[in-house]
Amino acid sequence: MPIYQYIFRRILFAIPLLLGITVVAFLIANAVPADPINANLPQNALNNEKLVTAFREKWGLDKPPHIQYLTYLRNLLRGDMGVSIKTKNPVLEDIRQFLPATFELATYSILIGLAMGISFGVISAVWRNSWADYLVRVFALIGVSFPVFLLALVALSIFHAKLGWTAGPGRLSFLVKDPPHVTGLFTIDSLLAGQWKTFRDALSHLILPSFVLGSFVSGIIARITRSSLLEVLSSDFIRTARAKGQIEPKVILRHGLSNALIPVVTILGVLYGNLLAGAVLTESIFAWPGIGRYAFRASTSQDFPAIMGISMLIALIYVIANFIVDILYFLIDPRIRYS
Amino acid sequence: MLKRFLVKASFLVSLFALLLASAHAQDEKVIVIGHAEVAEAYDPAHAYSPTGGMINRATYDTLVTFPDTDASSIEPRLASSWSISEDGLVYTFNLRTDISFANGDSIAAEDVVFSFNRLKNVKAQPSFLTDPIVSVEAVDDATVQITIAEARPSFLSELTNSAFSVLNAEVVMANGGTDAADAAETDAAMDYLDQTSAGTGPYMLESWSPQEETVLVRNPNYWGTAPYFDRVIVVNIPEAATQKVALESGDIDLATDLSPDQVVQLEGNDNIGIFRGPASATHFILMNRDPEIGGPMANPLVAKAVRYALDYQGYRDLWAGSVTPGTNMWIGLQGAYGQDKAISRDLDMAKSLLAEAGYADGFETTLSYPDFTFNGVNLSTNAQKIQADLAEIGITVNLNPGEVQVSLEEYRNGQQGFAYWFWGPDKLDPVDFLEFLPGGKVASERTKWTPDMASQEILDLIAQAKIESDAATRTEIFNQLQDYAQEEGAFAPFSVPAVQTAFRADIQGYVWHPQWSLDVALLSRAE
Amino acid sequence: MSSATQDLKLTSQSRLKLLKTLRKSPAVIIGLVIVLIWIVLAFSAPWIAPFDPLEQHIPDRLQAPNQTYLLGTDELGRDIFSRVLYGGRITIPAGLAVIIIDGILGLVIGAVAGYLGGIWDEIMMRLTELFMAFPTIILAMAVTAALGPSLMNAVLALVIVRWPDYARLTRGIIIENKTAEYVEAAKALGGKNPYVLFRTLLPNSLAPVLVYGSLDIGNAILIFAGLSFLGLGPEPASPEWGRMISIGIDFFDQWWMWLFPGLAIASLVMAFNFIGDGLRDLLDPRMRT
Repeated sequence: MPIYQYIFRRILFAIPLLLGITVVAFLIANAVPADPINANLPQNALNNEKLVTAFREKWGLDKPPHIQYLTYLRNLLRGDMGVSIKTKNPVLEDIRQFLPATFELATYSILIGLAMGISFGVISAVWRNSWADYLVRVFALIGVSFPVFLLALVALSIFHAKLGWTAGPGRLSFLVKDPPHVTGLFTIDSLLAGQWKTFRDALSHLILPSFVLGSFVSGIIARITRSSLLEVLSSDFIRTARAKGQIEPKVILRHGLSNALIPVVTILGVLYGNLLAGAVLTESIFAWPGIGRYAFRASTSQDFPAIMGISMLIALIYVIANFIVDILYFLIDPRIRYS
Repeated sequence: MLKRFLVKASFLVSLFALLLASAHAQDEKVIVIGHAEVAEAYDPAHAYSPTGGMINRATYDTLVTFPDTDASSIEPRLASSWSISEDGLVYTFNLRTDISFANGDSIAAEDVVFSFNRLKNVKAQPSFLTDPIVSVEAVDDATVQITIAEARPSFLSELTNSAFSVLNAEVVMANGGTDAADAAETDAAMDYLDQTSAGTGPYMLESWSPQEETVLVRNPNYWGTAPYFDRVIVVNIPEAATQKVALESGDIDLATDLSPDQVVQLEGNDNIGIFRGPASATHFILMNRDPEIGGPMANPLVAKAVRYALDYQGYRDLWAGSVTPGTNMWIGLQGAYGQDKAISRDLDMAKSLLAEAGYADGFETTLSYPDFTFNGVNLSTNAQKIQADLAEIGITVNLNPGEVQVSLEEYRNGQQGFAYWFWGPDKLDPVDFLEFLPGGKVASERTKWTPDMASQEILDLIAQAKIESDAATRTEIFNQLQDYAQEEGAFAPFSVPAVQTAFRADIQGYVWHPQWSLDVALLSRAE
Repeated sequence: MSSATQDLKLTSQSRLKLLKTLRKSPAVIIGLVIVLIWIVLAFSAPWIAPFDPLEQHIPDRLQAPNQTYLLGTDELGRDIFSRVLYGGRITIPAGLAVIIIDGILGLVIGAVAGYLGGIWDEIMMRLTELFMAFPTIILAMAVTAALGPSLMNAVLALVIVRWPDYARLTRGIIIENKTAEYVEAAKALGGKNPYVLFRTLLPNSLAPVLVYGSLDIGNAILIFAGLSFLGLGPEPASPEWGRMISIGIDFFDQWWMWLFPGLAIASLVMAFNFIGDGLRDLLDPRMRT
């Protein structure tokens, strides 16, 4: 199967899924609360007949549910997810404001997670059953067993509060101004603008949360790398390479690792979902102004438009991430082309 | 060769840019305040919360005001002088003529009329403050006449509330504002006034990202002594521990919400200055008198039992420096019952009251409260103590912590049956206590403790309390009302925590005020 | 999750092997011992805890670990040691409840879909994909926002977000076994559809679901603690571990207040992971070390 056909098929599969996601979001936002007007409008607007009528008309609340859903879908396609009760901004605008912070944190975390996880996995597999292997396995176990909020508290209280080595909560120190907006990622924008101080400050704020989140995923990556590398190393073609007299590290890197990483790629999509979940907890401890903290606040203040917007957005990211992973997988692993 | 030159040149350019940037940063005098934000709006006609009071103190002015640290006298502000008619009904204010708004427009009597009428007609939270007012008129450009319904000795101190801030009428109207009778539906200036100010204060509101930060910049046209700082950044840091660490590391200059435990830890630190004083907030339990909402708590005997069941000594131990109030009348006010006249715990009494009310075996109920830390007092900690205290007389309390804004709206709409809140006086005058008696805002609207539930004798006392000007008689009336509240009240006040503020040692001029808590214009930095 | 599903191909034959080799796996034994200890501690908390977990001793508040209060006291002077012991009485049943309800739910839905196949299978698969697209904690947050925070609702939220894994696992096994000889035999002997499904196919899916559950219970406990940490679980005074840790945000310096409940969660989750990993190693030779 050629690649474009594969992509086409995957898109075709994704459409019903995306529609389903909107149905779930619609149900939670409109069917669960006893009164959607109460749930979606701030209290002081409830006494205002004009606002209530306008809201009812906009979302078709006096119409039957399936029409309501279609209205909801139409508004959604226009990028209208409603207005957050808490921030009073359109949800889409809030997302645009908070997403880059989470994206930056998640990207650094996954890079750290991959770097740590893969190297630990390789060490552990190559020197199997050595003390290094056991150390890595204990580390991996801690990574998947320790609550991420405990790691965050330990990290904050030691490296920030006690030792003062890193910056504390937030994305930048209070006096440091945001770098000019280009990508929304402070570490990149500050470099583009040549603001070294801002860059260093942003990095100092990023280190703790991204290591906490990174070690959370590195445990999983280390385990998978280790087991798949062990499997590859015991396969025939590696044995052949060894028989040919090629030296160890080269063998491992050239043949072993590239094959062993396939399973790592396949779980990247799932991992990204995990990461976003961990981000909710990490962001609320590190006062990181991202969508995780936004979603948490929305859920405690019954801000339904916001929480549904976020749920949908993250589901969308998840679908896209898995889509990309599938394509990568398709490119890496020739076997799938025949299935 | 060329390459080398380019590298050198680009290095120099970036170095230059860096120098420029840092030079700019050093020029501006900035103070960063760490604060647990409680604000639903900054529009003075809508703002009715601690953060709003602090911000609007900096961005607006009122006709008259208090001294910097207390409420001992009434000082001129926008009004240079005033006179009161003999019957005490007509107040005539002479405005200063040398004052202009931050945008350069000069202030006129019409602005005062507009601001006060708008406050009244938007029917928002602070609008009740205009209840005594019959009319506000501009006699000429520099004279305002306010007529009130009946003599009211506390009126001038009520006018100091930031709700009575004077706004630039022209600017507000240009942005959808109106003072018309139907302003509740037609006024659309709130969004504008939440993002920028239209006042005469030493600062202007530059931006507000709710729950993130509020930025004030110096008003270039300020009529009084220019404040020291060019820019004031109020960062929302809800967690007390984070405020403490941020202060220690110098990320913030001042922390408003440290807990007593944390201030003790900061005491030996040479880089930190500490202010301690009695706070204005009275923490209390509310028991709704509507049986549909309050359930068993609607019974006055149960309410009294709750007052006798609380472990007051425990709350004092919990919050260092706190005192036990006698009633909901703030202890700083003339004639308020303090710790010496407070109720002491008496579990036998509480149990027999419960039995008398028909709940000898106790009952189950839910305590609602906002889940946050205010001035270093974690409300959840107190709620858990209330839960434990009441368990001892057989009342099983389930806790229902709510997000601040959500809980606040339920409370204001009188939807909470059994709740824990705190109150800082709107009016630094004993009449503030009347809000907690039948007919008052908190009692009638939020607790459904209405005038028809009180005897005529009490209603007469309340009416007299508003108009009595003789100091001795007034004290006597308030004593009787406080006795009444201790016996019959729908509230159980249990703690007035201390206020503790810590700041970097180079910050000067910090004073605390019971009404607006912090006046940022008084702060400066030692050089 | 999906990789775990594939790894767990368990037949009745390997179940025998499981019992035999269990004794050879130290990881599983260690895990079992720790879990057992926690269960015993939680069960006997009322007898071994020195204090009532809700009893406040205000004068003794914020004490570091000492002889009276083995693990120190919290901001209301409650004994952390007693609270940690009692915490097990909340977390362990909550985790088990999620796994058991989801296990049953997943078995039924997955079995029906896998056995009937066709459109039913298609609907179930799309439905599970849909639920899996929402990240666990966000969906759980939406559910608790709609229902209000409480212990029951937190468990319910977890049940709602975790059932798809179990359904997909069961479905896979059912489809694999549908054509197995013994199923054909049962059919040939005149077994009706429900009979074949419930008497022959389901029992074979039970073991893998159990193993997956033991792998998943650690996850469930972590998410439960996370929800609770965010204030979306049991009420504030509850000695629930996640809830206890959340106060740590206000008390960095009083490390005992949050570290011990944290270690309690970590040790329990780690023990479950030991068991899960050990079982997987035993059942899937490729993963064995």
